[in-house]
Amino acid sequence: MTQTVLDTGPELSVAELEDRAFELRRLLLNLCGTYEGAVHIGGDLSVADILTALFHRGLRIDPKDIRNPARDRFVLSKGHAAVCMYIAMAMRGFFDYDEIVATYGQLDSAYGMHPCKVQLPGVEASTGSLGHGLPLAVGMALSGRHRGETHRVVTLMGDGETGEGSVWEAAMAGRSQRLGNLVAFIDRNRQLMTSFAEERVMFEPYPDKWRAFGWNVIEIDGHDMRQLVDAIDALPDPASDVPTVVICETVKGKGVDFMERNLAWHAGSLGAEDLERAMASLEASRTKEAR
Amino acid sequence: MPVTFTFGEMLSARSVIGSTLAELGETHDNLWVITPDIGATLVEFRDRYPDRFVDVGLAEQVSVGIAAGLAYDGNIPVVSGMLPFLSMRALEQVRTDVCYPNLPVKIIGTHGGLVGNGGSTHYAVEDLSLMCSLTNMTVTSIGDPVMVGEVIRQSMDMPGPIYIRLAVGKKDMVLYEPGQHEVRIGKGIVARNGSDVTLFTHGTTVAQALTAAEHLAEDGVSVRVVDMWTLKPIDAELIERCAAETGGRFVVLEDHLAYGGLATRVADVVADRGIALTSFERLGIPQVYAGFGEDEQLRDKHGYGLSHTVDALRRAVATA
Repeated sequence: MTQTVLDTGPELSVAELEDRAFELRRLLLNLCGTYEGAVHIGGDLSVADILTALFHRGLRIDPKDIRNPARDRFVLSKGHAAVCMYIAMAMRGFFDYDEIVATYGQLDSAYGMHPCKVQLPGVEASTGSLGHGLPLAVGMALSGRHRGETHRVVTLMGDGETGEGSVWEAAMAGRSQRLGNLVAFIDRNRQLMTSFAEERVMFEPYPDKWRAFGWNVIEIDGHDMRQLVDAIDALPDPASDVPTVVICETVKGKGVDFMERNLAWHAGSLGAEDLERAMASLEASRTKEAR
Repeated sequence: MPVTFTFGEMLSARSVIGSTLAELGETHDNLWVITPDIGATLVEFRDRYPDRFVDVGLAEQVSVGIAAGLAYDGNIPVVSGMLPFLSMRALEQVRTDVCYPNLPVKIIGTHGGLVGNGGSTHYAVEDLSLMCSLTNMTVTSIGDPVMVGEVIRQSMDMPGPIYIRLAVGKKDMVLYEPGQHEVRIGKGIVARNGSDVTLFTHGTTVAQALTAAEHLAEDGVSVRVVDMWTLKPIDAELIERCAAETGGRFVVLEDHLAYGGLATRVADVVADRGIALTSFERLGIPQVYAGFGEDEQLRDKHGYGLSHTVDALRRAVATA
């Protein structure tokens, strides 16, 4: 049994987390306005609240001690949301935001379109090809349990990604191996790259699919910080034997009105004018929510 | 308990894998074995270390993904299964989850070549070509069953992945006396010395190559047989030396597609190093989906059986 002290920092309140999520979106748009190439902005905005809740509250991690065996592991299965993760991690003290903005996507930068563990320590796994994160997380969870550690292994997938057969191989393996320390968050934004999901793939009844695989299912609004925190608090004991999926209903492009549920904004870049409009929309959405 | 084997004896490579893993499981508490429902050889390991044995059922992709996840956490996972499926259905997991982060995952499997009479679904004939193209992957193909254990042992300290190819592994000929050759990953074995022509081969056809060399010896032709059991990294020095010492005459024999496997690896070294050859011939599987039949029948049918090997060697030595 490893009993390593982990300095996980103060626990933030729901209101504080909401502020962080707003800041994450602002920093994300700012990068998108600075970087010349395309950013997967739609799917970044749909996971901004989830990543904030995880990196600032849900995950037991210490940016000063990234190899501590007792840390929770996070695998970004939807690797195309890497930049959102980099910024969420920067806000948590892992990386330097200015360096991310200055080097993102450039030659020799560690901050690329999809995360690479070798080039960027602190990231737990190299991902990008969809349907790979959950199998990796199953392996990590097996290892942690075998060592008698009490940490969790958390992965974040897109709902579209769960069209990959390997996800369901891993769903069966995670249940068969009785991994209560395994948690999958799903960004259920109901959009693929080129279509609205249900137009192409019959995902529904979606939560029932996970129940049928024997998983503990939690369904929440993935933009409601209170619900995200409650879901995290409701996660079962890692020593238990049923893995949990947290299905988060989300909106692709969330927070920027002209991007929300807009197929044109799976990925894109923001000119100066678009950036101004996006920031104004983000501000307005916050004011609206505050009312 | 050490067991001794003698040349020509039949032994199961699978049982060597099983006993070697069981032995290493004792000294390495981070050794795991993962299998997609191919567990018969692994019973000893499973029974001794049940909490480090994972049978995922029919699910090759997740078997490799789990191995990568375990390796990320400091473990040494061995994935054991049938190579047509591990090398193709799980190819992207091998490439992206294992090779890209350079994790110490070992892939050990059977059914390399036209063996086992399962038909083309169950023959791994492209695997060496696929695996050799993966950055960070070490690629081996082993015929001698005792050597399998030695290679697994050596691979325990490797920082990156290794692919270990076997034929069917139920009844394999012991080719070498214990200690007869130095076994080192990346170094070919001169299984029989000779000076007129070099016959390069690997895996299940090493025995056939040695028999062919015996036939040629009756005619007074001296054939060098090289067991090039590591295809990547290839032993380029040995290839260069063989060209110089056997009249620049090369024959490559393998139970794999004739293009893309060892013959291609040897030809690459020849081209890259500007080695002048007198003759070069490759014997292997042509561009066909081979049908059913026993191993030897299939090799005869598809042009790389014993008689073809003998003929190719004769053609080589007839070249001035």
